[in-house]
Amino acid sequence: MTNQNKVLNHIKTYAVTYLFIALSVFFIIVSGLDMNYVASQLLLRLNRNAFIVLALIIPIVAGMGINFAITIGAMAAQIGLLLTISWGVTGITGILLAAGITLPLATLFGFLIGKLLNRMKGQETIGSLILGYFANGAYQLLFLFIFGNFIPLSDKVTIVGATGVQNTLNLTGSVGLYKALDGVLQVSFSLVVYILAGAAVLLALLQFFRKNLTGKKFAAILILAAVLVGLLQIPAIADVFSGAGGRQLIRVPVVTWLLIGCLCVFNLLIMRTRLGQKFRAVGQSQTVANAAGINVDRTRVIAIMLSTVLAGWGQIVFMQSDGIGTFQTYAAHEQVGLYAGAAILVGGASIDRATNLQALIGTFLFHSLFITAQSAASNLFGDSAVGEYFRAFLSYGVIAIALVIYAWRGAKKRKSSVDLTQATKE
Amino acid sequence: MSQVLKKDAKPKGRGRKILSVILFVLSGILLVAAVCGYYLQGTEQTRASLSAMRTQAVLHTASDGLLDAIASQARSEKLKELRARKDFRTLGLDEVNNTCDSAAAEARAAAEALYSNPRVADSAGLETAVVGLENALSEYGTLRNAEREAYSGIYVSLVENVPDWTDLADAAGEDDSALFASLSAWSEELSSEAYAHLQPGIVRLARDMADKERAREDEELLTQLTSAMTGAVSDWSEYAGVEDEALWAGLSEQVDGLAENERFRDRLLQAAKERISAAESGETVAEAVADEGAATVYDTVTDYSYFTATEALNTASAASEAAFEGLWSELTEIIPDLSELDNKMRNSIRTTLENTVWAGSNDFTARYNAYAARQGGTALSGSTALAMQLAASAQNILIAGIALLLLAALLMFWTRLTGSFGVPRTIITLFFIYLCLAAVFYHISVPMMLSNVLIRMGMYGILVLAMMPGIQCGIGLNMGMTIGCIAGLLGIVLSLQFDMAGWGGLLFACASGAVVALPLGWAYSKLLNRMKGSEMTISTYVGFSFVALMCIGWMMLPFNNPKIIWLLSGHGLRVTHSLLGSYAHLLDNFLSFDILGVEVPTGLLLFLLLGCLLMWLFSRSRTGIAMTAVGSNPRFAEASGISVNRMRTIGTVLSTVIAAVGIVIYSQAFGYAQLYTAPRQLGFIASSAILIGGATVRKAKVSHVLFGVFLFEGVLVLGQQIANSAVAGGGLSEVMRIMISNGIILYALTQTGGGSRD
Repeated sequence: MTNQNKVLNHIKTYAVTYLFIALSVFFIIVSGLDMNYVASQLLLRLNRNAFIVLALIIPIVAGMGINFAITIGAMAAQIGLLLTISWGVTGITGILLAAGITLPLATLFGFLIGKLLNRMKGQETIGSLILGYFANGAYQLLFLFIFGNFIPLSDKVTIVGATGVQNTLNLTGSVGLYKALDGVLQVSFSLVVYILAGAAVLLALLQFFRKNLTGKKFAAILILAAVLVGLLQIPAIADVFSGAGGRQLIRVPVVTWLLIGCLCVFNLLIMRTRLGQKFRAVGQSQTVANAAGINVDRTRVIAIMLSTVLAGWGQIVFMQSDGIGTFQTYAAHEQVGLYAGAAILVGGASIDRATNLQALIGTFLFHSLFITAQSAASNLFGDSAVGEYFRAFLSYGVIAIALVIYAWRGAKKRKSSVDLTQATKE
Repeated sequence: MSQVLKKDAKPKGRGRKILSVILFVLSGILLVAAVCGYYLQGTEQTRASLSAMRTQAVLHTASDGLLDAIASQARSEKLKELRARKDFRTLGLDEVNNTCDSAAAEARAAAEALYSNPRVADSAGLETAVVGLENALSEYGTLRNAEREAYSGIYVSLVENVPDWTDLADAAGEDDSALFASLSAWSEELSSEAYAHLQPGIVRLARDMADKERAREDEELLTQLTSAMTGAVSDWSEYAGVEDEALWAGLSEQVDGLAENERFRDRLLQAAKERISAAESGETVAEAVADEGAATVYDTVTDYSYFTATEALNTASAASEAAFEGLWSELTEIIPDLSELDNKMRNSIRTTLENTVWAGSNDFTARYNAYAARQGGTALSGSTALAMQLAASAQNILIAGIALLLLAALLMFWTRLTGSFGVPRTIITLFFIYLCLAAVFYHISVPMMLSNVLIRMGMYGILVLAMMPGIQCGIGLNMGMTIGCIAGLLGIVLSLQFDMAGWGGLLFACASGAVVALPLGWAYSKLLNRMKGSEMTISTYVGFSFVALMCIGWMMLPFNNPKIIWLLSGHGLRVTHSLLGSYAHLLDNFLSFDILGVEVPTGLLLFLLLGCLLMWLFSRSRTGIAMTAVGSNPRFAEASGISVNRMRTIGTVLSTVIAAVGIVIYSQAFGYAQLYTAPRQLGFIASSAILIGGATVRKAKVSHVLFGVFLFEGVLVLGQQIANSAVAGGGLSEVMRIMISNGIILYALTQTGGGSRD
C-alpha cells in the first residue's frame, strides 16, 4: 500500500472523527464561551462519562455491536444506589455497597441479555435497544409498585401516602454520596500534566534502554511531553487552567481518574487472555470460531455480562460525580446507551472495532459539542432551543451514520465475495 | 439432540395436562358457586335478610353517630378545661392531644354501654320510614344523575370544541345571554329550552375558561421571554449589583419584545436576578425543557361546580328532605338522646345515613357492601350470613372462575393454540378476553370502552397499515415510517398556515403530506436497498435522526401564520397545534351514530376499511404479488426474474406515503397535531400492533392489521381503566403499554435471528 493510500484510508476510517473535531473547534469559537468554563466542563464530563463509554468496548470486540442494553446495567446501579440511600450508608462505604449490590444484579441481567441476544444474532444493536426499552417498563414496575409495597424502604426515598419511590433522589447532604469518589483527592490540572509527562518520559527511557522502543518513537514521546509542558508555560493557556482572574481553578479528581485508568488497563489486559482471544475470534467470524472449538454463545454471554457490570459501575461513578447531586429516579438511565454509543462512535470506533483511545477521544469530542451547542446555536440562530435539538440530532445521527457505513461495508464485502465465487465458477 | 427433546417433551406435556385438569375442576367449582350466588340473590329469603340488614345498618349508623358526637363533645370539653388551666402554654402538643383523646375514649366507652345495642320497640314504623327515604332518594338520585349526565355532555362538548374562549368572552362583553347563545354553536343542546336553567353556571364557566386561557397564554409568553432572555445575555455577571430600572432597560435593549411586556416585569427581573447570582457563584440555572411525551387520549373530566339544578330536581330534593325527617323522628323514638344533637352533627350523620339507605344503585352487591360496612351484618345468623356473603360475591367468584377456565383452556390446548396463533398472540388474546370480563366486574361501562377502542382503532389503523407494504417488500418492520409521519405533519402545518379548514383542509393535508413523502420515501428506500439484512436497525436510527433533524426544521422553516408560530420570537412552529378550529374529529363525526350506547365513528372506520381494501387489492395485483414474493423469499424472487430492488423501493415508498396519510388521520382523531419529538415512537407502536395481529417480519396481511390494531388498542384501553380502578395512582397502564409493545417486538426479533451472521 502506498503512503498516499494509507493516508486516504486513515481519513476514510476516521472521517466522522475529523468532522467532529472541525465541528468542535467551530462551535467553541462561535459559542464565545470562556475557555476556562469549557475546559472545566469538559473535564467534569469526561470524568463522569468515560467509564460507561469504556464499558462498551468488550461487546464491540466480540462482534455484538453497540450494546444499548447497558441501560440495564445502569438500572442495576440505580437499584443499588436506592438501597444504599434507603439504608443510610454514606461516603466511600456507600459507594462500595452500591457497587456490591450492582455486581450480582448486573451479572444476572447481563446473563439474561446475553441469552436473549444469542437468539437474535445479527440484530443485536436493535435488539439491545428494544430490550432496554422493555426493561424500562420492568424498572418502572419495580420502582412504582414493588419497592415500598413488597420490599420495605425507608421514608427517605418513598413518597409518604402514595406508592412508589420519589421522583428525584438526592445524593447530597446527609445522604453523603455526592462526590464520594470525586472529592477524595483533587489536584490541579497542570500538576497532573507534569506528573503524566514525567512518568511517560521515564517509562520511555526505560523501554528505550531495553531496546523495546525505536529511537524515532522515543523522540516523539519526548517531544510530545516537552510540548505539553511547554504549552502550560504560555500564560494565555496556563490561565485557562489556573484560577487567575476570578476563574475556577481546574482540578482533577484523582480517584475517579484512577478508576477510569484501571478500566482501560483491564480492557487491554483482558484482550491478551484466552478469554480476550475468544472475544476477538468470535467477533471476527462466528463460523470460524465455532470450527476452532470456541463455544460462541457462551463467549458472547460473558462479553455482555462484563459490559453490563462495568456499565453499572460506570453509572455509579456518573451519579456520584461533581455537578450531578440528584438523580431522576425514573429517567436517569434512559439516555445512557444513546450518549455512550454516540460518544464511542464519534471517537472513530465502528460497529465491530473499538479501542480505549477511541472511547476517550470520542467522549471528549462528543461532550465538547454538548457543552457548546446551546450557546453556539443561540449565537448563530438567535435561539438556544436549536442547540438542544442539534445535540439530539448529533447523537442519533452519528449512530445512524456508523450503522450505515458498517452495513455498506458488509454489503460490499458480501457482493465482492459473491462476485469472486461466480468468477471462479466461470 | 432431537431425541433428548422428545424425551423432555412427553413428561412436560403430561404435567401440563394434569395441571389443566385440576384448573378445570377448580374453575368448575367456582362457576357452580357463582351460579348458586346468583340464584340466592333472587330468593325471597335473601331479600328479607337484606332489608333486615338495612334496618340494622341504619340503627347502627345513628347510634355510631351519637357515639361520635358524645366522644367529640367530651374531647372539646376537656380541651376547654385544659385551656382554662394556667400552665396550658407549657403543655406540649402531644400531651394535650393524649389527654383529650383519653377523655373522648372514656366518654365513648361509657356511651357504648348505653347505646350500642339499641332496642327496637316498633320496627315496622322504622322500616316504613327507611323505605320512604329510599324511594325519595332513589327518585332524587336518578333525576340528579340524569341531569348531571346531560350537563356533563354539554360541558365536555364545550370544553373539547370551543376553539377560543377569550374571543367568545370578549365578543359578548358583559351580556350574559349573548354569551350563552353564542356557546350553543358548539353544543347544540344549549339552544333548547330545557337547558335554559343552566345559563348562570355555563356563563361563569365560559368566563373562567377565558381567564384560564389568558393566563395560559401569558405563562407561555413568559416562558419564551425568559428563555429568550437567557439566550440573549452571554455573561450575566456583568449585571451584578445593577438597580432594577437599569437592569430592565439593559435587558430590554438586548431582548426583543421585552419592552412591550411591562406586565411581566417583576417575574422577569426575578428570573434575571436568579441567573445573575448563579453566574456569580459559577453555576448555571437549569432550564426546564418540556419534553412532550407519547400522545395519549385525554378524557375531559367534567367539573360540576358550574352545574345548576332544575325545578324538578329541587322538588325531589325537598321530598327526600321530608322523608329524612320522617326517618329521623322514628330514630329519635328509639334513641331519644339523638334529639339533643346539634345541627352540624346531625348533618354529618345524615350523609352517612343516606349513603347507607340508598347505595346509588339497586345492584345486590353494592347494597350488601353498603349495609355490611355499617355493621348491618349483625342482624344475620350464621348460615344466613354465609349465604348472603356468597350471593354478594357471586360476581367476584364468577370472574375468578372464568380466569381459571381460560388458563386451563390455554394449558390444555397449548400446542394447538400456539401452533396456529403464536405464543404472544395467544396470551394477549386471552388477556384481552379476561380484561373484558373483568371490566364488567369493575363496573366499567362497556359501551364507553368500546367507543374508545373504535376511535383508537381508526386513529392508529392507517399508521399500522403503513407497516404492511414494508413487511411485504422485505424491509421488515419499517421503523423509519416516522419519515412519512413527519411528511404528514408538514402537510398539516401547511394547511394550518393557509388557514384551511373542513374537508378541504383535511384533503389538502393528506395530499400535500403524501406528495412530500414521495421523494423522501424514494431516497430512504435507496438507502435501505444498500443495507440488506440490517434494515430494522438502520431504519430505527434513520427515523430517530430524521425526527431530531426536523426538530431543527420546525424551528427554522419560514412559516408565518401567527396561529402556529411562537408568539414572541415570531418564528418557529409551536409543539402542539389544535385542530379544533379546522378539521378535528371531522372524519370521526362523519355519519357517526350511537348504537346501544356505543358511539361508532363511521367515517374513521370506513376510511380504515377503504385503506385496507385498497391495500388488499394492491397485494393481489401483479406488482403486489411480486412484492410479496420478494418479502417472503428474495432469492427465489430474484431467480424468477423479479427486480428485488425495484419491489423494495415500491414497498418502502408506499409505506412512507401511507404513514403520511396515517398521521393526518391520527391527528384529526386526536384533535391535535404534535410536532418535534412526538412522532419518534410511532414506528414502535405500529410495529407492535401489526405483530400482535399475527404478522411476522416477513409476512403480513390486511387481517393482521385489523385484528392487531383492535387487540392492541383494546388491551390498552381496557387495561388502562382497570389498572386505574384496581391500583391507586396511574402508571401501571403505562408500564403495561411499554412492556407489551416492546416485548412483542423482541419476540419477533428472536424469531428471525439465531442464524449465524456470516
